[in-house]
Amino acid sequence: MAAENTVTLALRPTWRTLAANFWKERGAVIGGVIIAFFLVVGLLGLIGLTPYPVVEQHAIDRLSAPDSTYLFGTDQFGRDVASRVMKGTANSLQVALLSVAISTLAGTALGSISGYVGGLLDNVIMRLMDIIFAFPGLLLALLIVTILGPGLDNTILAISIVYTPIFARVARGQVISVKEKDYVLAARALGKRDWMILVRHILPNIASVMIVQVTLALSWALITEAGLSFLGLGTQQPEPSLGLMLSSNRALAEIAPWLILYPGGAIMLMVLGFNLLGDGLRDLLDPQGRGR
Amino acid sequence: MKKLTTLILVLLVVLVAVPFTSAQDNTLILGRAVDATGLDPHTQTAFASLRLLELIYEPLVTTDQDLNLIPVLATDWSFSDDGLTLTFNLREGVTFHDGSAFTAEDVIATFERILDEETASAAATNYASIESMEAPDDLTVVFTLSTPDAPIVSAMASTNAVILSSDVIASEDPALVTVGTGPFMLENWTPDDSTSLTANPDWWGEGPFVDGIEIRIIPDEASILAALRAGTIDFALLNDPLVATLLIGDDSIDLYRTPTLSYNVLQLRAAVEPLDILEVRQAISCAIDRQEVIDTAALGEGVVTGPLTMASFALPTDELFCYEKNLDMARELLATAGMEDGFTLPVIVANAEPPTASSIAQNIQSQLAEIGITVEIESLEFGTYVDRWLGGDFTAAVALNGGRIDPYTMYSRYWQVDARFQETAGYLDDTLDQLMKAGQAETDEAARYEIFAEFQQHLAETSPWIWLYSGYTYTAAQPYVTGWTPNASDALYFLSAVQVDK
Amino acid sequence: MVRYLTQRFITLIPMLIGISIMVFGAIRLVPGDFITAQLGTEAGMLSDTQRASLEAYYGLDVPPVEQYFSWMGNVLTGNLGMSIRQGRPVVDLIIDRFPATLELAIISVIIALLIGIPMGILSAIYRNSALDIFARLFAMVGLSIPNFLLGTLIIFVLSVYFGILPTSGNYVDLTEDLSLNLQQMIFPALALGTSFASSVMRMTRSSMLEVMSEDYIRTARSKGLHERIVLQRHALKNAMIPVVTLVGIEFGYLLGGAFIVEQIFAIPGIGRLLINAITQRDYALVQGVTLFIAVNFVVINLIVDFAYTLLDPRVTYDGR
Repeated sequence: MAAENTVTLALRPTWRTLAANFWKERGAVIGGVIIAFFLVVGLLGLIGLTPYPVVEQHAIDRLSAPDSTYLFGTDQFGRDVASRVMKGTANSLQVALLSVAISTLAGTALGSISGYVGGLLDNVIMRLMDIIFAFPGLLLALLIVTILGPGLDNTILAISIVYTPIFARVARGQVISVKEKDYVLAARALGKRDWMILVRHILPNIASVMIVQVTLALSWALITEAGLSFLGLGTQQPEPSLGLMLSSNRALAEIAPWLILYPGGAIMLMVLGFNLLGDGLRDLLDPQGRGR
Repeated sequence: MKKLTTLILVLLVVLVAVPFTSAQDNTLILGRAVDATGLDPHTQTAFASLRLLELIYEPLVTTDQDLNLIPVLATDWSFSDDGLTLTFNLREGVTFHDGSAFTAEDVIATFERILDEETASAAATNYASIESMEAPDDLTVVFTLSTPDAPIVSAMASTNAVILSSDVIASEDPALVTVGTGPFMLENWTPDDSTSLTANPDWWGEGPFVDGIEIRIIPDEASILAALRAGTIDFALLNDPLVATLLIGDDSIDLYRTPTLSYNVLQLRAAVEPLDILEVRQAISCAIDRQEVIDTAALGEGVVTGPLTMASFALPTDELFCYEKNLDMARELLATAGMEDGFTLPVIVANAEPPTASSIAQNIQSQLAEIGITVEIESLEFGTYVDRWLGGDFTAAVALNGGRIDPYTMYSRYWQVDARFQETAGYLDDTLDQLMKAGQAETDEAARYEIFAEFQQHLAETSPWIWLYSGYTYTAAQPYVTGWTPNASDALYFLSAVQVDK
Repeated sequence: MVRYLTQRFITLIPMLIGISIMVFGAIRLVPGDFITAQLGTEAGMLSDTQRASLEAYYGLDVPPVEQYFSWMGNVLTGNLGMSIRQGRPVVDLIIDRFPATLELAIISVIIALLIGIPMGILSAIYRNSALDIFARLFAMVGLSIPNFLLGTLIIFVLSVYFGILPTSGNYVDLTEDLSLNLQQMIFPALALGTSFASSVMRMTRSSMLEVMSEDYIRTARSKGLHERIVLQRHALKNAMIPVVTLVGIEFGYLLGGAFIVEQIFAIPGIGRLLINAITQRDYALVQGVTLFIAVNFVVINLIVDFAYTLLDPRVTYDGR
């Protein structure tokens, strides 16, 4: 394993060549396009550029099927489903991005300190991570949100906690594998401070592995968010949420299938986008990882 | 690997070849979403528990379809002229499931148990006026009351006042030992999964006509519907109007709609600014089209209601203050209060229980926006919601509150001095207190009607709460299930009259 | 190897203690208590004396620290306490409910393997063919559908277009009626197994490709061995090693993470038991079931680790 990593590092490509190679990764490009599309849709939803205000109720047009007035139909309050899917997309992405950002930061910090310092601290940190890791993700998120109370902020916090150990593990493994490298030893010999070595020399070297991990974690975070919302614990009404639209309209699916098909489709496509992107990036940045 | 593949293929063939089957005997298979939370009839308050226990136990009296009191274990009853003595004559020849005879001793032991603080019966306050009890003979019980208490008889028409055997009370835990006098006997209870009941062959009444009842817990009402259609269950209890409406116009399943006594309400706490201003509360009342709430939140499944939901006391809603949406008047009232620029109103709501609560809050939010009131919805998990609600820790709340057949029993906890839920109610005035006191003491029916008519008008006008609507409970049955009469107090007791002819 | 084993077991102890504290603390941090969960708003009608007597009846009047130690003491003797809601030992309830979860997980694994492995192998052999592209597309989509979404769609399609429902609360044990049981299990298992099949397919494919490019396969081929024999004798065996790991980890996840699917398909498994226990604030039951799930998860991961060491001659744990 160690020998393989040396190869990776020795051949660490520059960002310029990476960008050039990116366009050759068909999956990554498709994934990127899907994500870009949903980012735009979400952004429009976020700033309110939706066909109708997301909470506006048109009591007369309750449960109308998709047509030119309401592209994706309306729900039981006569709210425009298309607008709500847009805002729901924004909320889902927001939760996924923020929670993965937090867990990346926390996990990388904990993992690299753990790996770099070693010893007792390493043991304590990693055992704590193991404890968190001992629970299936959705179950742990569910427990945390039940304690903190439902809502967007708490969902973000819960998902952050759930995915921190993964980043900690990956970061720790990488740090351990590079910390004995010549350039790190050299820096140390030159009397550079530990944190400087970590930030200047070690972190850039593990970035590529982390980026892949981040992209894949985004797809898990989306699923977890949708799952929590599905259970009624994520984003709260009247704020739209794809998972909640799915579960609260399940009973109506028979007479108004558009109420579950569009939000369901949006969740699936977004997750697909991140998966494709993550896969492609892995092939690109981490040839040693599983891929093709 | 090859063997495994063969095995799976064989299994798949078996799977396709065998059609869906269901039991062919004369047992009624009943589906519902929520299971009982426990078996002690005196302490259980969840509707889900009562629906099971009312099959096993019987009270002295119950109510018929029109909510009139009818005898069960008592055959008749009467008040003394001063209203301080209440005498019940008991039914002869009734036995408990363990074979022992039902006598006056059991009635006395039962009410002693309910009133005992150790029992922790939440319903005990309804019988607090009982001072002493005696049994002149085996089939007569005399209650001596500390104060005239007309509603006490209808309060006894409750699963929380069912008669237990005095032997069980003395030596067993009724949470574990279920010995009642009812039409069905509990055979097995697997919480959150299934319950089996067998018919009581020695039941005093006519029936039951089925061999037993098997209750299956199907956690999702949409799945209950599918089970009905697939024919795997005979009978179902439904609460979600969204699901029940799917059965309207479905000829293969009989849907029974029963108006409930419980009511959906927007509780305003007049103790909190700016809801302490009368005009602000009235403006909210005038700004809400209650029918629109029903149409959106419950797909039209419900009736607009005032404070009282029982037909015998409810005033027509046009006799109540501002039951027609009137935005001009609402704005005027807000201006009088100096709040013409609107304000922010935080509303708490339970996120899943009942499923319609969050929908009601969302529609009210949309309607109140028209007069500049910004509703901020705070969705809480049910347990947290109950904590906040009981502690009066909210400005406004969307609630589904239970109703009773008697108006006094229904509201005594809210609208009188020292009421247990005074904090939650958040409002009280002398008129309300006096009307409640008069309503408790008065035994003349016409006079009581007048008292509670004024009570309703006063509540609507002072608008401490905005009463919205009463929904329905639904029972659905296969066409071969006959003899079912749904009851407004939700009782499954009358399943004793049901026949199954598959 | 032995040293590694003992080491792993020793580190397991503080971890299990940590898990138990977390499990114990978590449910007590949830607002609301058992009595409110039981009585709803009626809890407010209780007088202080009444409430105190209820708390004493349910054993809720013991201080938490004391509760923890007596609980741990019991856990060590195999007693997970009593469910206050159901009045039965937690262990019995787990024994009651676990078979359904286990069966669901096993069927999901079978589905995943039946679909994933052949597809992965074919995909690797006929690399870049139409078949390969289709298989990879299937896997990508399968991986991207959350199981509760797939479950919802399955129920929607079955009930609207076929008028049937896989389960309707009439769950039958497989010992009672195998065919009916399988009818009920197949759809939820499909909901769980699809994304699982996708990962198995991807893993099989990539590890086949890796193995097929290894020297010994090239040697075997150059020796003129029949392609089928090369695949069966050499490539397949080695390519399955990472798949075994994947299956183990996923299996551990399925034993505790399938609760939404159990809920929407009305399967009386431990996931549903746990969700109900949380809503009911049935402390002992929540503790017992989460502990059970976590320990399962840890033990399965440990077994997977060992299996990996045993299967793959290249990995040793004696260094480091």
